[in-house]
Amino acid sequence: MSDDPLLRVDELVVRFPIKANGQKTFIRPVDRVSFFIREGEVLALVGESGSGKTTIGKAMMRILEPTSGSILFDQKEVGHVRGRKLIDYRTSVQMIFQDPFGSLNPVRTIEQHLQFPLQKHQQLRGQALDERITSLLEQVGLTPVAETRIKYPHELSGGQRQRVAIARALAVGPRFLVADEPISMLDVSIRAGILRLMNELKEQYRLAFLYITHDLASARYFGDRIMVMYGGKIMESADSRELLRRPLHPYTQLLLAATPGHEEKQALPETSNLPPNLAESRKGCPFASRCPHVTAQCEQEEPKLEEITDSHAVACHLVST
Amino acid sequence: MTERKPVLEIEHLSVAYDSPRGPVQAVNDVSLAIYEEEIVGLVGESGSGKSTMAYAIMRLLKGVAYVTGGSIKINGKDVYGLSKQELRAFRWAEMAMVFQSAMSALNPVMTVEQQIADTIRSHQKNASSAEIRKRAEELLDLVRIDRKHLKSYPHQLSGGMKQRVVIAIAICLKPSLVIMDEPTTALDVVVQRSILDQIQEIQREVKFAILFISHDFSLVSELASRVAIMYAGRVVELAGSRRLRVAGEHHPYTEGLLRAIPRLTADDVVIEGIPGNPPNLVELPSGCAFHPRCAHATERCAVEEPRLQKTGQAEIACHLFQGREVPQHV
Ligand SMILES: Nc1ncnc2c1ncn2[C@@H]1O[C@H](COP(=O)(O)OP(=O)(O)OP(=O)(O)O)[C@@H](O)[C@H]1O
Ligand SMILES: Nc1ncnc2c1ncn2[C@@H]1O[C@H](COP(=O)(O)OP(=O)(O)OP(=O)(O)O)[C@@H](O)[C@H]1O
Ligand SMILES: [Mg+2]
Ligand SMILES: [Mg+2]
Repeated sequence: MSDDPLLRVDELVVRFPIKANGQKTFIRPVDRVSFFIREGEVLALVGESGSGKTTIGKAMMRILEPTSGSILFDQKEVGHVRGRKLIDYRTSVQMIFQDPFGSLNPVRTIEQHLQFPLQKHQQLRGQALDERITSLLEQVGLTPVAETRIKYPHELSGGQRQRVAIARALAVGPRFLVADEPISMLDVSIRAGILRLMNELKEQYRLAFLYITHDLASARYFGDRIMVMYGGKIMESADSRELLRRPLHPYTQLLLAATPGHEEKQALPETSNLPPNLAESRKGCPFASRCPHVTAQCEQEEPKLEEITDSHAVACHLVST
Repeated sequence: MTERKPVLEIEHLSVAYDSPRGPVQAVNDVSLAIYEEEIVGLVGESGSGKSTMAYAIMRLLKGVAYVTGGSIKINGKDVYGLSKQELRAFRWAEMAMVFQSAMSALNPVMTVEQQIADTIRSHQKNASSAEIRKRAEELLDLVRIDRKHLKSYPHQLSGGMKQRVVIAIAICLKPSLVIMDEPTTALDVVVQRSILDQIQEIQREVKFAILFISHDFSLVSELASRVAIMYAGRVVELAGSRRLRVAGEHHPYTEGLLRAIPRLTADDVVIEGIPGNPPNLVELPSGCAFHPRCAHATERCAVEEPRLQKTGQAEIACHLFQGREVPQHV
């Protein structure tokens, strides 16, 4: 195995035009973001609502084309490809969408949702196809399978639909999977099973994951590394164990403090309600307006993501020396 | 405490879906009351019937779903006794719901302001544009979304923002009962906390009762005063949330849920499940529906269905507790 990561993202920018007070301006929910994911590795992406996580996921899937920057998949540039090359790329990547309601076809049974990718991508037919569908449904806990197969999406509960979306993404046999809040609607008991399943896949097939979540506990459990995002920028990134043990960025510390089950949970600082500013014209650190430790420098100068150790980087004026 | 008025009274409610394999018993003989300004949590496994119950309360069940028994009253009025026209005036004004599919519940071709306006106009025909604008702005402030998003379309909002817009729409007519079906699942913890604080604040101000549906046990027990635990369409435990935070003396299913809360300690995260599979609602296990997964099951559990009974300060449907005095946690 070579040392090159399966996916390498460099200086990725996505911007959207918006209208504010009748004037057209731009926001940048993804602002010069760089990261990599190796085969069989899980990179967890956590961050504030509206900070650009889903937008990164969509750019990885090439559902949208990045404004600038590069995406290298298997050493090939895919960030701006079109046509045949784009179709080829898309057979190796899959996304489990944040909203499982929008992503299922209401006129197809659950079985049909799985049949198509299995036939097309895995060339399965007849009994082999049948068995694979059964085992996928069992794996995501949609039992009894015979019942589930012939149901339509509207006959399923929210969590059950979310599991169909997971099974379908797995059916394609991707090498890289973007999982956007895949277990947010599942209760703890089923959650554990899905996380275990994804873990197995990662180990068995050396699948690479971008695991988008707001749940630090599952990020810690499933992610090899965690990347924390705020206002379109990476604030901190580290081995997951290290990140939870030694959170350096004030936003990471805030996230941890708000996580249920965390021992040091305290009252959140007063400033915790303002949404991140994504305006292209923004200056300084995106977290400055909410940061309890803000200085004059933070409002003027954008901190760079700097490595503290080999496996721990942080973008904060207070930390980097 | 004794004189509180109930906002919602559910008695012996049962709901089924017709299916080729026979009726799916999604809600099974559930009774529950919610009092003025109270927040009650409803927790249970995926597929246990939580959303179905919510739809039944809103009288929004469609197609193959039907209420097979029981009654639902809101502010003393029988929801199923209302005429079509009365129902239209009643829904959203007296009872409202934040749907689990919130993100896709928004109309993709209408701006946030138009959707709020639509809801207001459907009940207050002669509301002026200025009034509506003002109300819409207040609502966005309340859920902490920048007012500039009044002009945004759903696809321009992040998942969490859409969810907050839907909450704003649900409370815009100041209903006395709001059902929230997993309103914060897609939100990051910080926003989730601030929305929950916000919900409590708004709730104290506007004074409505909430049925808060979630699978997140720790969240619900923080927010609600009482929590109902649902398994296979039945309420298996109903208890004060303070009591629920303490392990011991609960329904075995509740104990499983409590154990499954991940502990986020610096060194390790353990995520534990409840062994076994969710039940088949077409062919429910005999006796107690949980018995095939229960570590304490006895022969009796396989044949006799336990009823919800007062045990100390809680109500529990489990043979283990019958005829037994339970120490009271405070
Ligand atoms: N098509 C679009 N046009 C304009 N703005 C957009 C578009 N898509 C997303 N945005 C904006 O980009 C920002 C980031 O959105 P994104 O969905 O990536 O957030 P997120 O981190 O996934 O949040 P959440 O946790 O709430 O899902 C938001 O402010 C959103 O309003
Ligand atoms: N139209 C339908 N036809 C047949 N069965 C249905 C139908 N709609 C829902 N069901 C079944 O009824 C049961 C209860 O569904 P419901 O949506 O109420 O669950 P829930 O508790 O809200 O679950 P979740 O936490 O996953 O949202 C599920 O097992 C589901 O498969
Ligand atoms: Mg998102
Ligand atoms: Mg539901």
